[in-house]
Amino acid sequence: MLALQILANGLMLGGLYACIAAGFSLVWGVLNVINILHGSLIVLGAYLAFFAYTLWGIHPFASIVIAGTLFFALGYLVQSALINRVIGAPVLITLTLTFGLDLMLANAMIVGFKADFRKLTLDPPLGSIALGEVVMPVDRLLAMALALALTGLLYLLLAHSRIGRAIVAVRMDREAAALMGVDVRRVYAITFGLGTLMAGAAGPLLAMIFPISPLTGPAYLGKAFVVCVLGGLGSVPAVIVGGIVLGVVESFAALWFGPEHAVTVSFALLIAFLIFRPTGLLGKKGYE
Amino acid sequence: MKKAFVAAFAAIGATLGLTLAAGAAAQEAIRIGAPLPITGPLAPEAAKQKRGYDLWAELVNKAGGVKVGDKRHKVEIVYMDYQSNTPRAVQGAEKLITQDKVQFLFAPFGSGATKAASSVAERYRIPMIAVTASSEQVYDQGYKYLFGTFTPNQTLTEPISDIVKKRVSGAIRVAILARNDLFPLAIAQELEKSAKKRGIDVVYFEKYAIGTLDHASALSQIKAAAPNWIFATGYTNDLVLMRKQMADLQVEAPVVTMIAAPAYQEFIDASGKLAENISSASWWHPAVRYQGKTIFGSTENFVKLFEAKYKSTPDYVEASAAVSGALFQLAIERAGALDPVKVRDALAQTDLTTFWGPVRFGPNGQITSLEPPVFQIQGGKPIVVHPAPIAQGELKLGVK
Amino acid sequence: MGGARLRRELAIAAVALALVAALPLSGDAYVLRLGTTVLLYAVLAMSWNFIGGMTGYPSFASAAFFGLGAYAGAVAQSSGMPMALAWAFAGLVAAAFAALLGVALLRLRGHYFAIASLVVAEVLREIANSATDLTGGGMGLNLPVMSALSIQAQAVLFFYAMLAVAALNFGAMLATAHSRLGFGLRCIQQNESAADMIGVNTTLYKTVAFTLSAVFVGGAGAIYASWVNYIEPPDVFDVLFSVKAIVMVLLGGAGSLFGPLIGATVFLGLEELVWRNLLQIHTGILGLLIVLLVLFLPRGLLSLARRHRSAAA
Repeated sequence: MLALQILANGLMLGGLYACIAAGFSLVWGVLNVINILHGSLIVLGAYLAFFAYTLWGIHPFASIVIAGTLFFALGYLVQSALINRVIGAPVLITLTLTFGLDLMLANAMIVGFKADFRKLTLDPPLGSIALGEVVMPVDRLLAMALALALTGLLYLLLAHSRIGRAIVAVRMDREAAALMGVDVRRVYAITFGLGTLMAGAAGPLLAMIFPISPLTGPAYLGKAFVVCVLGGLGSVPAVIVGGIVLGVVESFAALWFGPEHAVTVSFALLIAFLIFRPTGLLGKKGYE
Repeated sequence: MKKAFVAAFAAIGATLGLTLAAGAAAQEAIRIGAPLPITGPLAPEAAKQKRGYDLWAELVNKAGGVKVGDKRHKVEIVYMDYQSNTPRAVQGAEKLITQDKVQFLFAPFGSGATKAASSVAERYRIPMIAVTASSEQVYDQGYKYLFGTFTPNQTLTEPISDIVKKRVSGAIRVAILARNDLFPLAIAQELEKSAKKRGIDVVYFEKYAIGTLDHASALSQIKAAAPNWIFATGYTNDLVLMRKQMADLQVEAPVVTMIAAPAYQEFIDASGKLAENISSASWWHPAVRYQGKTIFGSTENFVKLFEAKYKSTPDYVEASAAVSGALFQLAIERAGALDPVKVRDALAQTDLTTFWGPVRFGPNGQITSLEPPVFQIQGGKPIVVHPAPIAQGELKLGVK
Repeated sequence: MGGARLRRELAIAAVALALVAALPLSGDAYVLRLGTTVLLYAVLAMSWNFIGGMTGYPSFASAAFFGLGAYAGAVAQSSGMPMALAWAFAGLVAAAFAALLGVALLRLRGHYFAIASLVVAEVLREIANSATDLTGGGMGLNLPVMSALSIQAQAVLFFYAMLAVAALNFGAMLATAHSRLGFGLRCIQQNESAADMIGVNTTLYKTVAFTLSAVFVGGAGAIYASWVNYIEPPDVFDVLFSVKAIVMVLLGGAGSLFGPLIGATVFLGLEELVWRNLLQIHTGILGLLIVLLVLFLPRGLLSLARRHRSAAA
């Protein structure tokens, strides 16, 4: 019975992790940019939902749409004004750039919102559903649904729209895509915008679950890393798989080895994957 | 290449110049150094300590300053950010002493950093008051210049164990979940001792890592162990998340005690209705009633002054910071001099009532005279349930 | 011609060494502290230069080596090993660890290598946190106090110890740059498969570079532990040690000999300036500096000097 509950916990935690990692994975896979800013962007989205709810009573579900739209514009700007300038540079340069941007955003949030922990508490709460003895919180189920919906939409976008095909083309071969008349810089900006949009959309959802503070950004970023390596880059469903594997592994590690070792076990798994299967569970060759 | 070198040395030179200039200015005021984790994970705690210091400094300076002999000196608090990094706190304390020429020190946040920084204060013979350090290991180093306003951890776990033993009928089964970190782990281990001493069965004791984002597994295990007392330790973010997940997973018990977050208004704000009936203990509570003899006067008066300045109710960290300033003031005035040795001796002889409570330091510098209150969140407010003379209500059972 | 360059480099290094070694004459504790810190930063930057600058592998393992060295030194000292010996021991422990780790990790490229090296510090930190018997866990570890020496004498001792490590590190870098190893590493940076084809033993060379990037950092970590007298896992396994090493090298100029030194000096100067004067926003300013650096000076301060010289010629 306990094992069933732990499994359910792990699956739902995995949904959260997938939410956290979706945009990060897209940016990494297409732009080959490790976006250190990602964690802080999620936190910014959470703050947006928090203030929208406490000041104007806007439901966090509405904030998902609002934050997503605003964040797309923000991401588009950041990419076209800053990151595009060094996009051809070695891995380390873009990573350092986003690290610098992250320091700025995190500091700005501490000054603007203070470092105090806050939380978006819905009244009445969403509650939980019980299936037999297994209890499942509704907000986590919603997070899982959102992760599936976002990645599903992304999948449709990439597979069936003009811009989606351009993104895929750029990901496969930048030079060839440019020769075919694809405006590579615009595609980059749109992709980064989409990645930022997903961070913004995850924020309001996580605001209902986790305490909000500028200090939580790095924790989200760390999870996004692990999810991407476990799932693999270059395919949309990989985020879901990576998230769920991580959630389940952490949950059972906590049960078997004690909660203080849950994270260590997931890191050990991460290193094992990096060494023995750098493409991840679902990743495609050529992205390692 | 030469130019780059010149530029590099010029940058260093400019830094040093500024530094020395800062050190020379404002010698007239009494300078007290305060290394604080203004950035990094402990930033919220730094803000609290700073509010306490600032309130005291403002009040003293408005009254003309601290009286030394027949002269009055304004006070100036010199802050430095150690970025939640303990070695940086040690370096910062040294820098405050040697560069900024501070005459006295407030300790950094928590037992670990305080213990580390206390060696600097001791080497330079600068009196230091620890504002948030409770572990006895901090004080048992044989140091003469360190004083602290928190009693040892067992003064929190003993009374709460007594109350639970009295209020909960039948065999008591306690589950303990602790953050694997200095203070939260120490207090959990202390509770384990207090519980066992009273024949309370410890059915679960686990630690979780710093930065844990999910407590579901641990809570599911606790639920399976069916305890009637759950004791969890951590900081605000940990415990807000844990309380939320307890509700999500329908983990319930007659008594749920959390340390240290419920003493903070942020916990109550962030948890909303889930904060109801959570019990806790801390070294001070705005409901205590003492007729203080320091610049702040009685506890009510202190709370009023604090609320007027910050529009919020003070918690024990803010109060401890403020009382520490007042204790320095008192010692300086009694010593009649700014000489660190004389002020140190005056501190050691402190014996009076403050809004914080009666203050007397033991031979190791740790306060011995305090009886920390136990309280419970009732109707969205912390209600004192112990000690009896200041109790506002009884411990209510049932946390859902 | 190579000999002339080597002589010039040695001359510059000797002058810099003499200047820095004279620092304790000032007698100021704060100057000495800054001096020790800048040397520590220089070691971090120079060491990273082996693997990151010369070989082109974006390593984030500096924090792991630093923390490992700090704990190895602290534990050795607590169990009675003389201090200087404990420092050397710590360097060797870090080097051995890097050699073993390198065999596994250096097969990865680009971001994957970056992440793997980043995670190593996280894992070590968690281990240090849970191995309470050895490391004191979250309680931290207090090092034995030296009562025989005055405060000032201790500060001078740690300064010269750090200077010795930095000088050794520089010597190793100079020797590498002028040897077959340095040539091989640069080949790997340009094109690893091609380097393999022309007979460079890439696995061996990379592992040696990785080990070199650990040994001095480990020693410096142990000196740091003795210097600050108290260590705890989140402080010595702080990812910022890795990030700072990279930023300093980028600031000075990656792959060059003096770039890391200049980067470390300028970086510490900026850090002190910002840290002291802008209490609330110093991390943000640091971030802004990094962004400006990457956008406008991606090849480091040394590239300015080079540009100037070629313009003059």
